[in-house]
Amino acid sequence: MSHTLAELQTRIETGGRLGAAEALFLYRSAPTWWLGGMADLVRRRKHPDGVVTYIIDRNVNYTNVCVARCNFCAFYRPVGHGEGYVLSFDEIFRKIDETLALGGAQLLLQGGHNPDLPLAWYEDLFRAVKARYPALKLHALSPPEVLHLSRMSRLEVPHVIARLVAAGLDSIPGGGAEILVDRVRKLLNCYGKASADEWLDVMRQAHRAGLRTTATMMYGTVESDEERLEHMLRLRAVQDETGGFTAFIAWSYQPEHTERGGAEATGIEYLRTLALARLVLDNFDNLQASWVTQGGKVGQLSLAFGANDMGSVMIEENVVRAAGAAYCMDEVEIVRHVEDAGFIAKRRSMHYEILGNPIIRERELPRQLALATARADGDTSVPAELASYPARSAAGKRQRSQPRSPVA
Amino acid sequence: MMNIEINHAIAARARAGESLTEAELAELDSTDVLSLGMLADEVRRARTGTAVTYTRVFEPGPETDAPSLAAMAARGVEIRLALTAASLDEAASRIAHVRKASGPDARLTGFSLADLSARGWAPIGQVLAALRSAGLDAIADAPVDAVTSAEVDAVAAAGLGLGALSVRGVPDQRVTLVLKARAALAGRPWVSAFAPLSREQSVSAPTTGYHDVRMVALARLGLPAVSAIQVDWQQYGPKLAQVALTFGASHLDRVSPFDDTALGSRRGSVEEVRRNIVAAGFTPASPGTSA
Repeated sequence: MSHTLAELQTRIETGGRLGAAEALFLYRSAPTWWLGGMADLVRRRKHPDGVVTYIIDRNVNYTNVCVARCNFCAFYRPVGHGEGYVLSFDEIFRKIDETLALGGAQLLLQGGHNPDLPLAWYEDLFRAVKARYPALKLHALSPPEVLHLSRMSRLEVPHVIARLVAAGLDSIPGGGAEILVDRVRKLLNCYGKASADEWLDVMRQAHRAGLRTTATMMYGTVESDEERLEHMLRLRAVQDETGGFTAFIAWSYQPEHTERGGAEATGIEYLRTLALARLVLDNFDNLQASWVTQGGKVGQLSLAFGANDMGSVMIEENVVRAAGAAYCMDEVEIVRHVEDAGFIAKRRSMHYEILGNPIIRERELPRQLALATARADGDTSVPAELASYPARSAAGKRQRSQPRSPVA
Repeated sequence: MMNIEINHAIAARARAGESLTEAELAELDSTDVLSLGMLADEVRRARTGTAVTYTRVFEPGPETDAPSLAAMAARGVEIRLALTAASLDEAASRIAHVRKASGPDARLTGFSLADLSARGWAPIGQVLAALRSAGLDAIADAPVDAVTSAEVDAVAAAGLGLGALSVRGVPDQRVTLVLKARAALAGRPWVSAFAPLSREQSVSAPTTGYHDVRMVALARLGLPAVSAIQVDWQQYGPKLAQVALTFGASHLDRVSPFDDTALGSRRGSVEEVRRNIVAAGFTPASPGTSA
């Protein structure tokens, strides 16, 4: 099948859908300028108001203990490792307090697959959060985490989702997707945590339960161009089916300190991938710029390559930082970058409802020039409430049988 | 093919290598960033093809020993000195020491012309002559927003080369800066490179990606007399530097001289640079090639 850019340009301009072969042709052969221009055209068609959104939330990783052992991850620690941690409820409350003070209204809560945190721990945490902060939104637990809880609790995914929703879950982040092709997932040692079908099915179930979710893609490891496209096309198919994805977020694999190693995909590859996503994912309204992996400058340039959202202020980030990226943008910087690019900056919710103008236009906020971390270095405290929950691992059982020093 | 949404008459003049007026540059600066970049890329490719040159630079500290300097020089790495001396004699002595250690064929550069001028050690012509006599090949950079034309001319008068005209601060107006650079380049064909991105950045409010790539593109379009638009690889980082290549830049300065391949050959600095150049659709020129 042969294509010409002119034919595909007409297709895109008239709102037609790209097929797999056509999208692959564009990804491999279209000039970067062409891809950017077409992606910008689609972005303008979907968002003619010139608004670029962002959310003020905090990216909290409640535990780094994980049994999945993905070889691209520098964040996790195996069960029993001295640097493994679980945040206490009080630590999480403190983080929420700080988030609210910065105008935040949501917690993005994700963590490792910790065998010593049963479903009840999550339910209790969510209930406690909602009791103290009724207006706070919980954007929590990526599909592999939901699947992990399903396996541990021996409950079907819909039941787990229902219990989490009853406890306070508002939406599900699209983490853990990596590349939704099982050949790739096996090579990344993440097939066990969730196959491509399993990841998609958790999202399908979440959408059926009335939850909105995001979708992500981590590219730049072992996948081919065709597999990147297959990832996008599988997401597009689920979106056709459910309409439950609010946004798509792509980022490049960060290799530092990982078992896999290797090199990071370049900035141009990121912009081309983002632009292609805007063209292929015609049923996704929102594309986020991944400034946390690309930096503020290329993050801002993403707005010319199809992105309409600057993601999150984040406040805290641990996973990408562990793999070598340590960019920071507070609300001042995000707004400055949005406006410098000629757009109107608006705060949004996870559902992409406009919440208002930047908080910094209403009151002065302390500048944040570095993202916070989960815990201070050397903090090995063990939350007291963990004693209330049964551990599954031998290390966890031993730890919970020992007398504890009080949590700081 | 996608159309450039830009004033066709201005685009035609830019393609022809004509000197654009202030109003034309202002119009270009107000157009969308993709169209601006596309035009700058087109002009740059017509001028220098797909080649991207880069300079590996070693910046020795006071503790750097002679064998290390010699080894760098033998690999064709440019040795670039920072201005740490308290006096002209001390600076000249340092140059002489490094020249002796690195050998007569080493490319030995250093200092910002603005810093030398600000020291006030002596009339700038005398300072430059003394540095040349001590063994310096070229002044590393001359910021157009901090030096005079006479100071730039003094560099050539002293028999020194100039790595690049550069920019120290963040300009209020990009077009004004391009015009200033054009004036500095006029009648000075020996200046072959312009580095349009600011050397000094605010930590709390650094320049944005849009500003940087617009600056690069305007420099390419507004300065037909200069052969290379240069970006500092270390200061601006691989991602912005790579993107800048698609907005008209053609030379990467201050590439690391070290090739630590402990994490694999693809993680070596030269491999990383070459990989980024290729991924941007260009062809890496030989290491050490000057602009």
